[in-house]
Amino acid sequence: MEPDSEEMESEYESEEVEEDVPLMEPSKDAIYNAEGLHEKLEDIAWPKDIDWIQKLSIDVNLERDIDVNDDLAREMAFYTQALEGTRQAFGRLQSMAIPFLRPPDYYAEMVKSDSHMVKVKGKLLFEKKKLEEAEERRKAREAKRIAKEVQAEKLKERAKQKKHEIESVKKWRKQRQNGGTGGSKVDLDFGFEEGEGFERPKKMRPGVAPGDRSGGNARHAGKFGKGSGKGGKSREYRNTKFGHGGKKGLKRQNNAESANDIRGFNKGTAQANKKRKR
Amino acid sequence: MGKKRKQAEMEPHSTEKVEKEAPLRPQRTLLGWKEMSKNGEPLSSPVFRNKEKVLVTSSRRIIYRYRHLMLNIVSLLPHCKKDSKVESKASKGGTLNELVELRNCSCGLFFECRKQKDLYLWMAKCSNGPSVKFLVNAVHTMEELKLTGNHLKCSRPILTFSTNFDMKPHWQLLKEMITQIFGTPKDHKKTKPFYDHVFAFSILDDHIWFRNYQISVPHNEIDKVDRGGLDKMTLVEVGPRFCLNPIKIFGGSFGGQTLYENPLYISPNQIRALGKRKKAGKYAKKIKAKKKRKMHEESNPLEPDEFAGIWKE
Repeated sequence: MEPDSEEMESEYESEEVEEDVPLMEPSKDAIYNAEGLHEKLEDIAWPKDIDWIQKLSIDVNLERDIDVNDDLAREMAFYTQALEGTRQAFGRLQSMAIPFLRPPDYYAEMVKSDSHMVKVKGKLLFEKKKLEEAEERRKAREAKRIAKEVQAEKLKERAKQKKHEIESVKKWRKQRQNGGTGGSKVDLDFGFEEGEGFERPKKMRPGVAPGDRSGGNARHAGKFGKGSGKGGKSREYRNTKFGHGGKKGLKRQNNAESANDIRGFNKGTAQANKKRKR
Repeated sequence: MGKKRKQAEMEPHSTEKVEKEAPLRPQRTLLGWKEMSKNGEPLSSPVFRNKEKVLVTSSRRIIYRYRHLMLNIVSLLPHCKKDSKVESKASKGGTLNELVELRNCSCGLFFECRKQKDLYLWMAKCSNGPSVKFLVNAVHTMEELKLTGNHLKCSRPILTFSTNFDMKPHWQLLKEMITQIFGTPKDHKKTKPFYDHVFAFSILDDHIWFRNYQISVPHNEIDKVDRGGLDKMTLVEVGPRFCLNPIKIFGGSFGGQTLYENPLYISPNQIRALGKRKKAGKYAKKIKAKKKRKMHEESNPLEPDEFAGIWKE
């Protein structure tokens, strides 16, 4: 029975609901011959006074109202029944002073063969390994997440510092304009001392078009442009595109930033694709 | 009730026996030791000896899963004999009874597979005892890797029954049959003298559930088995698992007068038919649902959305 079909039925079908209900009720005309059963029981039963050791049977009270469909609860009930029964049985065996536990050096044929038990062990090990691997993966993911956060924090920090520096430079300039030389009173904290200030960024220079092979030189003073005197805008542009200067290969190569840039790619999940389509 | 009284008289009896054993050896008979009563005289009643033998067979065209279940049961019962498959039960009880008698057995377990999916189990006390027909559900064989226990091959099982076996006459009868069939006779030649597994028979939801557990007691506790050692005892499931749904109890073996009929029993054929009937109306239902939806939409149309064009600019 599929849940959806059942659901459908309950939603839409009111006139022909549940034909199986009458079947689930106990049928009235079922035979129950209690006397006959008792008679048969008397017939086949062993004599009442036989030793318990012949039967080895124990009655254990099973707790009430166990949900049959709840696998865990059901199995637990059986387990407790068996365990309780075993306890009682062992108590009795002990009182009879019969050795009943198998000594560790007693080897005999088992119900399951050794090769089968090897398989069982392999399965257990495999499951353990799987669990461990999952755990490892989870940890790695967590670590990655944390690293990302840390990185973001760092970037923020850096931006903040930069802003602060620029501001301080501005302040210093203003002060110089206003009050001449600040002298010793002006607090210079550019961090020039640390050697950060004059570092040139190694990436692309600002203000240079991405296709510019001259690295921006042509715009200021193109060799051709100045020499011929003819230079119009188009010449300039063509110079930047085809002319000398700069390395040709570089603009095609990845640098550290562009390699990490995944904006050009799909995010990968189908969900994202769907969204984009919409 | 009977059990309690027995237990009460058992304990003094057994201790007495231990004390008596030393001075005078009991007489030997062909069948073992002659039992002594408390006065040292042989008991008047003949010595009880469990001589049950079980014939285990199956019908033809049994599928592998159920065949494995049968083989597992064979491996659990040292006192059973396995016979070759029997042609389906067309000729009914007669042949089976003959077969059981031919093999000198007193009980029969007959696994009947129908339609390559349903397994019925016949449990019968032969010649004139009662017989039961069960539907077998929820079969798990011993080969499954999630059942990790293992125990000695022919050791005697401890049988545990839930107390609701004593509630009704038919359960009582079933309990007696199960003890006789599944309990290994005490002095059977194949048995091993230790107890390392336990069968659990429980009635839940009017079904008999069978479980087989290995008893594992920690190794260093084996020498001194006091209460502490027993408390640390754990059980590991060995398998097989199955669930028996009694259908009918008959007076004779493999047939005869019906003594009990399960009022709640629905045959698997009926269940399947019901399922099919439920599925049959799927298309019609779909059409109906669509129509209904359409009507519903027409009868209460959507209001024009005031924010419809808000993102257009």
